[in-house]
Amino acid sequence: MEATKMQPGAETAGAGAATGDRSAGGGSRREFLGDAIRLSGGALVFLAGSSASGSTEPAPKTKAEAYNWEEHSYAYLIDTQKCIGCGSCVRACRAENAVPDGFYRTWVERYAVGMEGSHVDSPEGGMDGFPPLAVGFTVTKSFFVPKMCNHCKATPCIQVCPVGASYRTKDGVVMVDGERCIGCAYCVQACPYGSRFLNPSTHTAEKCTWCYHRITKGLRPACVEVCPTGTRQFGDMKREDDPVRQAIEHERVEILQAHLLTEPRCYYLHLDKEVR
Amino acid sequence: MPEISGYAFPNDITVWWSLMIVMYPYITGFVAGAFIVTSLYHLFGRQEFRPIARLAMATSFAFLLVAALPLQLHLGHPERGPSVMVTPNFTSAMAGFGILYSGYLVVLMLEIWFVWRQEIIARARRSRGVARGFYKLLALYTYDTSPEAIEIDHRAITVLAGIGLPMACMLHGYVGFIFGAIKANPWWSTPLMPVIFLMSAAVSGIALLIVLYQVVAKLTRHPSDQPCVSALARWLWFFLIITLTLELLEIIVMAYEKSEPWHIVSELLTTRLEFSYLSMQMIVGGLIPLILLAIVVMLNRYLHDRVRNTLSTAAALLCLLQVFSMRWNIVIGGQLLSKSLRGLRSPYEPEIFGREGVLAALALLIVPFVILWVFDRLLGIRVAPNGGERPPRPEPEGAASAAAE
Amino acid sequence: MEHARHVFRALLVLVAGGAVVFLGRGFLVPRSYGLYGHYRYDNVAEQMNAHRPAHAGPQSCTGCHAAQSAKWSSGSHKTVSCEICHGPLAVHVTDGKVSAKMPVDRSFTLCARCHRKILGRPEKFPQVVLEQHVQGPVEGRVCLDCHESHFPKL
Repeated sequence: MEATKMQPGAETAGAGAATGDRSAGGGSRREFLGDAIRLSGGALVFLAGSSASGSTEPAPKTKAEAYNWEEHSYAYLIDTQKCIGCGSCVRACRAENAVPDGFYRTWVERYAVGMEGSHVDSPEGGMDGFPPLAVGFTVTKSFFVPKMCNHCKATPCIQVCPVGASYRTKDGVVMVDGERCIGCAYCVQACPYGSRFLNPSTHTAEKCTWCYHRITKGLRPACVEVCPTGTRQFGDMKREDDPVRQAIEHERVEILQAHLLTEPRCYYLHLDKEVR
Repeated sequence: MPEISGYAFPNDITVWWSLMIVMYPYITGFVAGAFIVTSLYHLFGRQEFRPIARLAMATSFAFLLVAALPLQLHLGHPERGPSVMVTPNFTSAMAGFGILYSGYLVVLMLEIWFVWRQEIIARARRSRGVARGFYKLLALYTYDTSPEAIEIDHRAITVLAGIGLPMACMLHGYVGFIFGAIKANPWWSTPLMPVIFLMSAAVSGIALLIVLYQVVAKLTRHPSDQPCVSALARWLWFFLIITLTLELLEIIVMAYEKSEPWHIVSELLTTRLEFSYLSMQMIVGGLIPLILLAIVVMLNRYLHDRVRNTLSTAAALLCLLQVFSMRWNIVIGGQLLSKSLRGLRSPYEPEIFGREGVLAALALLIVPFVILWVFDRLLGIRVAPNGGERPPRPEPEGAASAAAE
Repeated sequence: MEHARHVFRALLVLVAGGAVVFLGRGFLVPRSYGLYGHYRYDNVAEQMNAHRPAHAGPQSCTGCHAAQSAKWSSGSHKTVSCEICHGPLAVHVTDGKVSAKMPVDRSFTLCARCHRKILGRPEKFPQVVLEQHVQGPVEGRVCLDCHESHFPKL
């Protein structure tokens, strides 16, 4: 019952301050509120803006030669006519990047195509080569197609990452920041090429990085390094005499799933209509 | 190891979005659907929904509180979940979650506060000790119950319902957008997806409230308000018709165009999803409630109360199943087909235990009802037949909470 | 307006809460985020040093294995990197010093990966069906019985 006794008194006092005595009671309260709001608003803008504005120095360069990503724009060329399906690339990638079992940063597919049908297989990504194949139709052509992340220019995967963990560097490599990735797997769903997966140990998204730790030191990706037939080639579009650039500029090249307009940077020579 | 028929990309054979990602749209569907019902009264002034307006609002709130949990349980790094609000990448629909969720939570909490304010003040006056301090804090130390203040409350409620309705719809619609905007997956990629999700959210919300209303009526031994029940059944029928039409339209257009993915999608629907899509979503969950509700709506004036209640509740329960299987078929079904469009994997079986398992999902469904019960103990949810907006009467504590349960 | 006091109070709570969240967020955004796009720029340098390169190419073997290297570079396997059959350099050499023996695989499986006749390989590529390639029983026979790995042509 004390509540009801106090209430009328409190109410009239408040009401009196608000309506009757604007200059002293209501006015000073209003001024205080106004000042408080202005002050906190300014603090908000300052603090929220300063972290995002990049007032800090970029990370120091790693090597003495100070790799400059503005000087490169990488591309990858695959000539499917040369691939023999040995799987050395898959094994080399696995060794180079500690790829977890059951997942593949790069893999090789075999296509056996005839007039009545087509058959595709990729036993363990082609890691141990391919076994003999018997299909129920007459095979008129068969070939291997190596695949990996296409490092697209208009990626669907970066578009859907909710926290900005997936990104594309200025030299054209798409990578995942393992520290920020929350493991939601949205990018895995969004990639039309099936090149992403969640690492079962780190629970973050992972995929081919074109061996960024090698190419920034002037080496080639491990898969290109070991390929015995020259199927896989790695190049820099910013170098005039680069053979990959020459091929892309002057020969007929294809890309995977062109209708999706992802602008991949992996180009294929002699691709077949059966390949998706 | 899952079995693959045909050819799947080597990385494609894992179902990444599990049962928890089926539960998330199911739960936010309840949030949106229940809010639609309460807005039918508070915003559009449809008086037949007055008896359950408060129950609907409290239900929306209870489910909203658990809505973030399935996502957290699913993430590879749940401790980094809040990064979505710290560094959101706004080209991603998922990044909208932080803003939509917190925004809608604020709007709903405000609206609940305005609706229950007089009850809070009454309880502040009635109680003693810690409870009194709690209610006084909840009242924000203002105790104005004059007619002018109540009038301001009503206007605030209307404004908040007007803001809250699109927010609730977006909170659920963006989930549909998450799927619909993935061009890589042909079973998901369609502009119809956000609309389908939203319409089926309305179905699930109304169906839930029909069932809840009957349960509450039984518990409080008050008869359920029949105009309210038939209004709910009518709106459920309406939204069910729209939902089924849109879902069928998606399939029909795909089948007609016979574009590249159709051969694998049709194989998906007729082999891997035969039970959950054809039997559960379309027939048991679609056709049968459609008929039951048609009876309830079109033969309304000939029906005895008990028949109306029974038919509506049966239809509502089937609709709840329909919406769940629809979520399942989209989320899980879309991951059973490989992006190579040449292969399907064996059906996904969720684990029983574990943080993405069946028991966790069941717990997620039960917790909101516990929250509702707590809500009722703290604030009281009136579902009396002659209106839910009566001003608080000085009743003794025990009878008030018993009547309101 | 006096009757709207509770509305203003509620809004005040709201604004205060929002300010706290916004301020808190400011502390949590990583330092290099947003420099070149919606990502943490520091990660670029981290990726550059994510692994030590494990493969070094055939030219890294010539220093110590000149004889094999010379034979290899004059034969038909000269496009086949040493690391394909032997494994990455990092298995064998750490920090310029030999750390472990390089694996030497003499099984049929190793050679079969490239040279067994299967669907898919280009016609002109040398591939054999072992039963048709050797005379007599095939059981237990390996390619290295007759062929030299670094200079395979007989």
